[in-house]
Formats: sequence, C-alpha cells, structure tokens
Amino acid sequence: METINMNRRSFLVTSAAAGGGLVLGLQIPFGMTTAQAAETVPEINAWVVIKADDSVVIRVARSEMGQGTITGLAQLVVEELECDWSKVSTEYPTPGENLKRNRVWQSFSTGGSRGIRTSHDYVRRGGAAARMMLLQAAADQWKVPVNQLSVSRGVITHGASGRKVTYGKVAAAAAKLTPPDAKAIKLKDPKKWKVAGKPMKRFGTVDKVTGRQVYGADLKLPGMVNATIMECPVFGGKLKAFDAAKVSGMKGVKQVLRVGDTAVAVVADTWWHAKKALDGLPVDWDYGDNVKVSSASIADVLKAGLDAPQAFVGNKTGDVQSALKGAAKTVDAVYSYPYQNHAPMEPMNATARYTPDKCEVWVPTQDGESSFAAVLAASGLPADKCEVYKIDLGGGFGRRGAFQDYVKQAVLIAKQMPGTPVKLLWTREEDMRQGRYHPVMQCKLTGSLDSANNLTGLHMRLSGQSILASVRPAVVEKAGGKDPLTFQGVAQSGEHSIGYSFPNLLIDHAMRNPHVPPGFWRGVNINQNAIFIECFMDELAHAAGQDPLEFRRKFMADHPRNLGVLNAVAKGIGWTKPAPKGRYRGLAQMKAFDSFVAAACEISVDSTGNKVKIHRIVAATDPGYAVNPAQIERQIAGSFVYGLSALFMQECTVKDGRIEQDNFHTYNSMRIAQMPRVESIIMPTGGKVWGGIGEPTICVAAPAVLNAYFKATGKRIRTVPLKNHGIELV
Amino acid sequence: MADVMVSVPAQARRGEIIEIKALVRHPMENGFRHTQTGERIPRNIITNFVCRYDGVEIFRATLHPSITANPMLVFSTVATASGRIEFSWTGDNGFVVTQAASLRVI
Amino acid sequence: MNSFDRRRDFLKTAGLAAGGAALVLPALASPEDMRAALTKITGGADVRRGRVKLQLPPLVENGNSVEFSVTVDSPMTETDYVKAIHVFTEKNPQPYVINAYLGPRAGRARITSRTRLADTQTVHAVAELSNGTFWTDSVSVVVTLSACIGDLI
Repeated sequence: METINMNRRSFLVTSAAAGGGLVLGLQIPFGMTTAQAAETVPEINAWVVIKADDSVVIRVARSEMGQGTITGLAQLVVEELECDWSKVSTEYPTPGENLKRNRVWQSFSTGGSRGIRTSHDYVRRGGAAARMMLLQAAADQWKVPVNQLSVSRGVITHGASGRKVTYGKVAAAAAKLTPPDAKAIKLKDPKKWKVAGKPMKRFGTVDKVTGRQVYGADLKLPGMVNATIMECPVFGGKLKAFDAAKVSGMKGVKQVLRVGDTAVAVVADTWWHAKKALDGLPVDWDYGDNVKVSSASIADVLKAGLDAPQAFVGNKTGDVQSALKGAAKTVDAVYSYPYQNHAPMEPMNATARYTPDKCEVWVPTQDGESSFAAVLAASGLPADKCEVYKIDLGGGFGRRGAFQDYVKQAVLIAKQMPGTPVKLLWTREEDMRQGRYHPVMQCKLTGSLDSANNLTGLHMRLSGQSILASVRPAVVEKAGGKDPLTFQGVAQSGEHSIGYSFPNLLIDHAMRNPHVPPGFWRGVNINQNAIFIECFMDELAHAAGQDPLEFRRKFMADHPRNLGVLNAVAKGIGWTKPAPKGRYRGLAQMKAFDSFVAAACEISVDSTGNKVKIHRIVAATDPGYAVNPAQIERQIAGSFVYGLSALFMQECTVKDGRIEQDNFHTYNSMRIAQMPRVESIIMPTGGKVWGGIGEPTICVAAPAVLNAYFKATGKRIRTVPLKNHGIELV
Repeated sequence: MADVMVSVPAQARRGEIIEIKALVRHPMENGFRHTQTGERIPRNIITNFVCRYDGVEIFRATLHPSITANPMLVFSTVATASGRIEFSWTGDNGFVVTQAASLRVI
Repeated sequence: MNSFDRRRDFLKTAGLAAGGAALVLPALASPEDMRAALTKITGGADVRRGRVKLQLPPLVENGNSVEFSVTVDSPMTETDYVKAIHVFTEKNPQPYVINAYLGPRAGRARITSRTRLADTQTVHAVAELSNGTFWTDSVSVVVTLSACIGDLI
C-alpha cells in the first residue's frame, strides 16, 4: 500500500497552448500520472500530453471499473494521433479541472454502456487535432509544406529530404499552435484501423494481478483516520439516538458521530477498531411505517397490478384486445424477477478531507462530476474550493455513478473533524443492506394464436417498480407519469427497441413503487425483459408446435441485425443438428444499448432436475464497431458470470422493511469451476450508430438457459433465482 | 421540521443591514406530477410571500412551481426602529400562514 | 447541449448600448416560453448584461433542490435602487422561478432561495432598477444524472 505525500505535487505547465493553460497533475500512486516536477510538459490539447522522451499521456474522462473502457478510448485517440502505442499511458483529469476549462472533457459519466459509444467521435478528433498540430510544428521547423510530411508511430518524416523528427522534439512548438477546427477534421475509416479495432493489451492488468493496484479501500493518507457507518436498515427510517458512551472507551475509537438524519458513524485509528465499536454501539432507530413491508406484501401489490385497469403504454401496434378475443388458442404465463444487489467486490468507500478553504475527496466513482456535485452540496463550499480525485473501481456495475451517498457521508464526517483525512469504508453488511437494487417486477404475458397456429397478438403487462420515479423524477414527470426505461429491450423505438414485429402488440406497465430504493443494476431493465419475452416466445413456439428459432424468424424480417446475431449463435451451437445425447439447447436475442446480442447454450440436467451443467454457451454481439475485440470477449464472458450468478443464486428479499441478505453466504456468486467456456462471435456491421458493450449481453444468458431447461425437463421455470426451485449450477 | 421558521436578529444598530431568513413547511406540488396510476396530482403551491416591518412592506415575492418544497427565502432590510417584523405566506387552496418576530434597534 | 455556446451566441448578436455594457437579446438562448415570460416583465425593453450576479452550483446530481442567490450591484438609496429581481429557467415545465420585489429599505439587493432544475440548463436572473433599466446574468448548471440515462424522451 502506498502513501500519498500531499505536498509533493507535480505541475504540468503548458507552453502557452491556445486551448490550454495550467494543467494540474496530482501525483498519485494509482499507475496514472507519471509527471516530472521540473520538466515543462507540453499539452498539445486537452486530450494529449507529449513529453520530450516521446512518451504520451492520454487524458480519459470516463472511469475504469474493469470494463476496459480506458484502454479502448486511448486506442481511439492513438489511432488518430499516430504515436507509438508502447509509449502511451493514461491519466484522469479531475472534475474541478473540467469545470475550470469549460468542461473541455465533457461528460465523465461511465454507465449505460456509453463510455466509448458517446465519446468516440470527439476523442478521435482530439487525437487527430494533436497529430495535425505536431505535423505542422515539424513543417514550420523545416519550412516545408505540411502535406509533404508523413508520420508513423510518433516519427515524422519528410520524404523528399529524408529528415525525421520524433513527436517529443516538436511537442513544445506544437502546443503553441492554433488548434484546427475539430468539426472539419476527417477521421480515419475504421476499416483502416491499426490500433483501434485490435486486441491491444489492457492497461493496468499486471498491477491488478500482482496486487499493486491501489483501490479506494486500500488508500492511505498521512494523518488519516478510519470510519465505518450504519444507515437505518429500514429505508425511510430515521436515527433517534445512540449511546456513544458505551463504545467511546474502546480501543482506537476517536469519535461517534451522527451523520445526517439517518446514520451513525464511528471514527477510529483503524477500520477494524471502528467496525468493532459500531457493532457494539446501542442505536435507537425510528423505523417508520415501512417496517411492515415484506417480500410477500410487495408481491401481493405487484400481482394486483397485473390485472389493473390502468397502465402506462410503452409499445403498441394494432389492437391486441381484438386479437385475443378472436383467438383460436391463447397462451398465458406470469413471470417474476426479484430485487438484486450490485455486490461489487470493493464495498462502498470514499476518503474526504475538509477545511473551510478546501474539501477534497478520493473516491472510486463511475462519474467524477457526480461525485463533485455531491461534494459541493455536502461541504457547502464553492466549486473552486472543492476537488475529487478518481480512483479505479473494484466494481461499479451501476452502483457508483448515479448514487454518491458514500461521498456525502464521508464529507459530512470530515466536516466534523476539519483538517483530518477520513477514510469511510462500509462493511460488507452495510453494502448489502444499503444497495440501490435492481427493481422488482412481475409480468403477465398473453399470446393469441389462430387456427393455423400463427401468432396474432401479444400482450405483455409489466407490474413493478420504476427506477426513474425514484432516481430521476423529472424524466417521469415529462413523460406524463410514465417511466420509459421500464421498456428497455421491448421499446417501440430507439436504442432498446424490440427485436420483433408482431401484428398486434401491447406492452404496458402498471407502476408499483415499493419503498426499497431502486438503482441501475448492470443491464438495468433488460435483465427481466429478456427473460419475460424470450422465455414466453419459447412458450408460444411450443404451443404452436414450432421450433423456437423458426418461430422467432417469422417476426424478424424487419430486424436484420437481430436476425444476424440470432442466426450466428444458432449456427455456432449447431441448432439444426441434433444435440449430443443428454444435452439440450436454448436461445435468446435482444437489442440493448444500440447493440444486438444473442446467446445459445447447451446444458445437461441430472435425473432429479436439480443439477444443471452448462456445457457450452455461444454469444454473438453486433455493436456496430469493435474497438478492442479481446476486451469485448472478456466483457461478454464477465457479463455471463454476473448474469448467470444472478439467475441461479441471487435474490434480495425484504423482511420487516429491510433487506435480509447481508453477505455472500446468503447472496452467492458462481465459482470458476461452474463457469462454462464462452464462445464469442463479435460481428460488428458498421453503420451510423455505435453500440455499447458493457451491458447488452448480460440479458441473453438467463433466458437461453431457462429455455434449455424446459427442453431438458419439460418444466417451465418462470421465477428466479433457480436456487428457490432447488436447482443448482454444477 | 416546525411549520414555520423565521430568523431575525434579536437586535441591531440603527442603519445596520440585517439578513432575514424565512422558511415554511409546504409540499410545493408543481402540478406536473402523476400518481403511480397515472392521475395528475393537482398544483398546490405557495404563491405569495410578504414581509412587513411595522406595517410597511419591505419585501414581497411571487413564488412559482419551480421553487422547492418547504420554500426558503433569504433577504435583507435596514434596521430603522424597534418594532415588529411580520411574515405572511398565501397560496393555493386557501393556504395562509403568518409569523411575527420582534426586532430591537439600538 | 453546451450552454456555453449559447452564451457566446448571446453576446455575439449584441450591439453596444450607451454606457458600454453589451446589449443582450435573449432570443437565441431561450425557448419561446421563457422569451415570452421575459417580455412580459420587461415590456420589450433592452436587457443588459452586468451588475447582476447569479450564483448557482455549476454541477448538481439530480436538480431536486438547488440553492441560488442573486446579488445586484446597487447603492439601494431612495433614488437608485433595485425594484425587482426575476429568475427564469429554460427547461423546467414552466419558466418562472421567483419574482422578488425589493426597494430602498432592503439596504442590500440580494435574495436567496431554492429551486428545482429538471435538467441541465441555463438559469437567468433579471433585475429591474428604479431608473427603468433591466440587467441580467445567467449561469449554466449541469445535472450530472442526466448523462446517466441519456436521451430518453
């Protein structure tokens, strides 16, 4: 573990670049900045710093949380910049710097599978602009037209005279030039990529494997104290009182503090001493009315919503009621999906130091600017007195972007101990109890078939919690009370539009919001919607006496990219050939975050029906463009670890108003021996729109396995996790 | 919180500019929200605030639906003579709340 | 989405008023509603940039409750004072936030309150002086949560 010397700061000074200014580089031991104190290090533009030794620092605004976005973004910059990849490292600008420079790095938000797809254009332009300025500087130096120069791997050549110069030597001059008009820059055709599009090794892997990587939980600052906290376990309840005297004398305890209206914290010399004291602290909570709520009471409310007269319409074609009335046969089923927790390996934490002149926070965050906003609000200080230093995350998955509760807590504690850095690290129990949960949802699906077994109509009624009603009510307000996000994967249009065209269709949502705080779990609403629609498509196919793949294809003539990935996994699994004895197959497809994804699996089930082995799982992704195919493979596999663990083992239940599962003994995750090999087919088909990678594939593994399970056993499973049916993954 | 909270210094020098803070409990329902079952929640806001110093209006405000719940107002006035500072909030559905504080001017 | 661009547009189209402060024509920065609301207040009179300082945090997480202050440079005498301070938004469901009426007895032209902000947007403050002139300041506020879910509607 490494210690920051807070006085040892390195300043990167530009040589009066047109778009630049003073660049502050805080030397932190996170494998990022490698600034040299005495050197003048030219910033070519906000995105690119080039040093005299030709090493290149690429500024990246998004956060690294194991998804490899930092490496991918650097690849995109370097592709246009044409420097030597082996000399590249990355650096996080701070949110404070971003504000001072009119948000030159734009959004820091890392979520919604947006890291690459929403920033690729401007980061590439940033790299291209820097290249153009470096070439111009060489041209000026040699007094030749710039179009006589070529560059490769950071070496500029003047063909006619044979002169060469490296980027490092012209960087200072380049930094003084006027940047070109970014919009007028012509970017490279992705078909000609040499760095982007290639499986470059990710930054930071060695450090993670050897333990050198410093996470927020590892952070040590001089004079730092350690804190842990407990928020009222019943959501909506309040802190009444606590008996500090009972624990103040315990070893290492420095303070026992009220934090806001709802939490109490212990500050001690070590985290363990703080935890022991908090465990022993008598606390009086005012639980409020929500203490009466249970999973059963929530399920009752949701069940009633399945038949309620009012629901918000998310997707509609034709007249489904008439189709149902005139049906020769109807098929219906009720599915449900539970609360789930993000459960990242690194519990929530933030380190804060407050004085009336400055409030600084070190935090693993998916959005440095959200953290900064939380620091502003909690400290009461103006923006120029606040700063946030981003640390790579030990897992984000959606818990650490939209929710900055741990930042607010750390600042409120630090305010009560001015001048002292306070590291607030939650216990695992607190992390499990104070989640922002995948919303609970039930779904009633009804399909109508005519006498020739053609599907004539489908009604999908969702009943359950809206994330946005709690997290972003202004969006719901603007949509007349509806939460458009509920329809991800089955929406009428856009990045999550449904991958089928049905003659008559109605997808609607009876909104029922329990008191449990919802959040964006990886994939968000595609997890349950993929199970609902893709399992029911199999049920319909079965009722119609048709093969599940053939049945689907009938509705996909207008969805060629969905069909493309579905056909790819069908071919990969050998769908048209018989499966090996004792093995059974299932498949699923969806469009999400502007990517098209499908999965086909091959499983076997023992004679009791309780032990499932996944022998093969084939996944296909069409994200439009693939910046790092090796990383995409890993993201697909990783999303299956997350999604299959959820399918087999994960549910958060509510009792007496609080979440029951408080550690991994009751909220398990799969082990390496259980994980099947993932065969990935990465098939980018180009086009105007770039799709995301972090989330889309997570949703197709579960329905593929559930569909295969039916083939194997004849039993249709409609509620998850599978452990509730006595089924385990072997 | 209490239904009303006003903060006026207990005393001030003649001619001193004093800061006054006024806070009242109110949902400030903006009229654009809907229930879970899609019914529009009617607007219910405080629309007017008046502050009088010995009967003379020294500050007035019209509040709109953008103002947050439990609206807070901070403004100032010159301490002229010892007297009564009166606060009055009115709004939709006949909402009326008043409060008063004494100011000693030396 | 960058309202700094819009502020520059603001100033680009301005001419120069007597007294040196740039004339501001709000037309380019605001949607119709806000423009109409502003015209109602000013009666179509010119609105100049300056003398007004609107303070808001540059970043907020969700916009549910954002504290703001408006301070106007004015001697607040019987003959030279701020009559009113008006605050507007561009993207809330309706444009007005508050109309505050002061007078020489205020001593200082400064108000503070709290507003909701539905989305990333620019907030505008307009002060009406006793001499019938109007002055303005504006601040961009980024709602960081709006990046989290992108363009849904």
